[in-house]
Amino acid sequence: MAKDVFTQFKEHSVAEFFKKNKQMLGFSGKIRSLTTIVHELVTNSLDAAEEGRILPDIVVEVSEINKDEGRYLVHIEDNGTGIPEKLIGKALGMMLAGTKFHRYVQQRGQQGIGAAGVTMYSQLTTGKSVKVISGYKGKKVTCEVLIDIRTNKPKVNILNREPSEWHGLIYEAEVKDVKYDKSSYGVYEYLKRTALANPHASITFLDPLGERHIFPRSVDVIPPKPKPVKPHPLGISTSDLIDFAHYSKEPTLSSFFRNTFSRISQLKLDELRNYLPDINFRMKPRMLSWEQADRIVSVFKKIKWISPSSDGIYPIGEKQIKKSIYNILNPEFCEVVERKPKIYRGGIPFIVEVGLAYGGDAGRKIGSSRNGDVIRFANRAPLLFDAGGCGITDAVKSIDWKRYGIKNFDDAPITLIINVSSVHIPYTGAGKQALSSEQDLVDEIRNAIMDVARKMQIHIRGKVRERERATKIKSILKYVEQLSMDLAELADYSERDKINKKLIKLVEIKYSKTKKHNDNESESDNRSVD
Amino acid sequence: MSDVVKKLTNLGKSMVKEINNNSSPTFTTKLRSRSNINYDESIGVLRLGDKREERTFINVSQARRFMQTIAVANKCKKFLNENSHTSIRGLYYQLKFSLGANLDEELFSEQGESNPLIEDLELALDVKREDLNLSTARKGVVAGPMVLKDKFAGEKVEIDLTKQGRSGWMIPSDVDNGMEIDSINAEWVLVVEKDAIWQRLNEDKFWKKEDCILISPQGQASRGARRLLRKLADKGLPIIVFTDCDAWGWYIYWTIKTGSMNLAYLGLDIAVPESKFIGVTMQDIKDYDFLDKLTITAKPIDIKKAQDMLSYPWINMHKEWVKELKTVIKTKKKIEQDALQGPRLSFISDYLRDKKENERFLP
Repeated sequence: MAKDVFTQFKEHSVAEFFKKNKQMLGFSGKIRSLTTIVHELVTNSLDAAEEGRILPDIVVEVSEINKDEGRYLVHIEDNGTGIPEKLIGKALGMMLAGTKFHRYVQQRGQQGIGAAGVTMYSQLTTGKSVKVISGYKGKKVTCEVLIDIRTNKPKVNILNREPSEWHGLIYEAEVKDVKYDKSSYGVYEYLKRTALANPHASITFLDPLGERHIFPRSVDVIPPKPKPVKPHPLGISTSDLIDFAHYSKEPTLSSFFRNTFSRISQLKLDELRNYLPDINFRMKPRMLSWEQADRIVSVFKKIKWISPSSDGIYPIGEKQIKKSIYNILNPEFCEVVERKPKIYRGGIPFIVEVGLAYGGDAGRKIGSSRNGDVIRFANRAPLLFDAGGCGITDAVKSIDWKRYGIKNFDDAPITLIINVSSVHIPYTGAGKQALSSEQDLVDEIRNAIMDVARKMQIHIRGKVRERERATKIKSILKYVEQLSMDLAELADYSERDKINKKLIKLVEIKYSKTKKHNDNESESDNRSVD
Repeated sequence: MSDVVKKLTNLGKSMVKEINNNSSPTFTTKLRSRSNINYDESIGVLRLGDKREERTFINVSQARRFMQTIAVANKCKKFLNENSHTSIRGLYYQLKFSLGANLDEELFSEQGESNPLIEDLELALDVKREDLNLSTARKGVVAGPMVLKDKFAGEKVEIDLTKQGRSGWMIPSDVDNGMEIDSINAEWVLVVEKDAIWQRLNEDKFWKKEDCILISPQGQASRGARRLLRKLADKGLPIIVFTDCDAWGWYIYWTIKTGSMNLAYLGLDIAVPESKFIGVTMQDIKDYDFLDKLTITAKPIDIKKAQDMLSYPWINMHKEWVKELKTVIKTKKKIEQDALQGPRLSFISDYLRDKKENERFLP
């Protein structure tokens, strides 16, 4: 689709296209634009490391050149595989050339337009080229990259080539009309969240104030390479179907259905044909009309399918989330749940993971207090914007927090980390910053939150009990000294200190932590009143 | 070392022993609740049963009271060793004054906290508060042919109760320690509820004419007054009680006779089951015509008290009293002692003489 959109704009310049679709591409607002820039570059780095089976070390530096103009220098450095010299242009200097398009695979890069978009933005706002250093297979290439905005062809100016053992990519762009801000929409928060969802990555951030923030690696396990999966008939929309059909090289509609989708057996295909006797299943797939596709999609919903396989979904993992939460939020209590795969719209598998951190650095810091914070992820990519219209937010809001010992979620030192993994994330809009409120999805997220909230409640109860225990000890201990004094005098006993010490010990033993709390202990006044 | 000091010291020693054996110190006393108060029919006295309560220091709800109990015990030991006396209110202030070791609250915040602890100690040690050099408020007045010897503040005095003039001799809180009856020249004892009537009879020289000891507890009888009555009964004198004709007045009689529930732990020491009730009764309204005009209306609390008394088995067992109480509840009337002065001021004397000679008593 997007490629079609692009071709429609061929007669205009790529720049025109970019400007017209800036909003859609994430370049709306100064703070958000900077976050989008960093996001595109970091995503690239993470994907490159994953492809090369490397534990990513990423350094992001944002420095101010002219605050009034909103002019900043963005510098990013990774230890990925690097880019071979001949592909540098295509990867970083050509819009919409990414390999990610039309692969039905769980990926971060479902959002945005990739690093070339940043190159374009830099060029359009400052007129400058970006500087790239790529270390790939023993060779280090330093170059400048521009986009020919008339032809959408990259222009690469090689400055230096030298042999080097270093691998990775350094990308530096000057940009204008952006703003650095430590708000929840800003770069810092974005990187913190990215680190939370990517515990195998080490991310260092040097902010414009010269401060260095390090989000260390929490686990040494590289996530598995996502493998493409065939779409399930129930997870497909009319436009998806048209899209697949038009790009298909299958000779007939029949073979297209059997080979492109999962769970479409010959038996099911016959069933489909029976529903649609007027459609010629021997025609070429690219001949499929919108009207026909529409009818096929509605028939898909009437047929009883075997549930889709959840093979292509890669959640972050309970252990990994837990480690990164402890690493980054240093909470007093943390619980993570990874739910079993579920499906929405009757056919799209997804997995929900929820991590809850309580106390410590959990919660959004506002002044001296901490407020309940919800950190949303889709396939590990943080969703910073449009929280109000997001199904994840709906699920959080539907929880009766009082049941879990939290008077008001907004005032509680809690961070909820919610990651939805799927090969097809139901974004609400082109901005891809919110999930649509699919009932199955919201219910599943809600159930996952309740799982961890129950555990938290047990923890809070334990804390209350501990506080009560301490209060009990204190309420007895305060009388020990007076009693020892009177008792020593009363008994003509010289070792008052000994009584004192022994009594303190007795109190501590009775209310010690190890002793099972006895709720039946008679604390009541045992003297009835006449 | 006196016996009481020894008892106090031993109480402390047993607790120190418990502590040294690594257990929480405990304090055992008799349960003073209604459930542990029994009427001993054989001697006609309210007594405390055998139910005990053990308190332990290492218990959130008992720690403060435990500490306070020992503070009271220690303070009393000091009084005994110094041979000084004080009232229970004085004790309270003594304890309140000591701020407590490393304590950010008052040792005692009100006297209501220390009073029951004194009773606990009396029970635990089997002593009376007077033995702990604690006194209650003086109340009660006496006149009549009796001589007392009083050792007090290093002095010995003889007190002739015929020579106390219009005010009479005031009953101290402790009539046991340092106080003894030297001689009695009376045949019986008359207890008069109201001080005003006592004054009337004293002016009439009733005690001289009738050879009696004339006592007014001035309302509900104090420990000292009840203890004195017990001692007089022990000397073989009949105790005759004269109160208003209403449930509260009658209850003053019953407190003297069987002891009160509050002080049931003192049992026979403070009760006079031999005592008899002379009046005023509801029956008197029939027997003395003029009284019918002098009745006043009983208040709801009088009726309530009458109903309560009907429920006490030691009162309910006497049919005469059941009749009297039921009459009060039914007619809602009462008569004050003072009403007997209706015909003439000296009629009270005539009334008492008349009833006594005809032995028209209630049990």
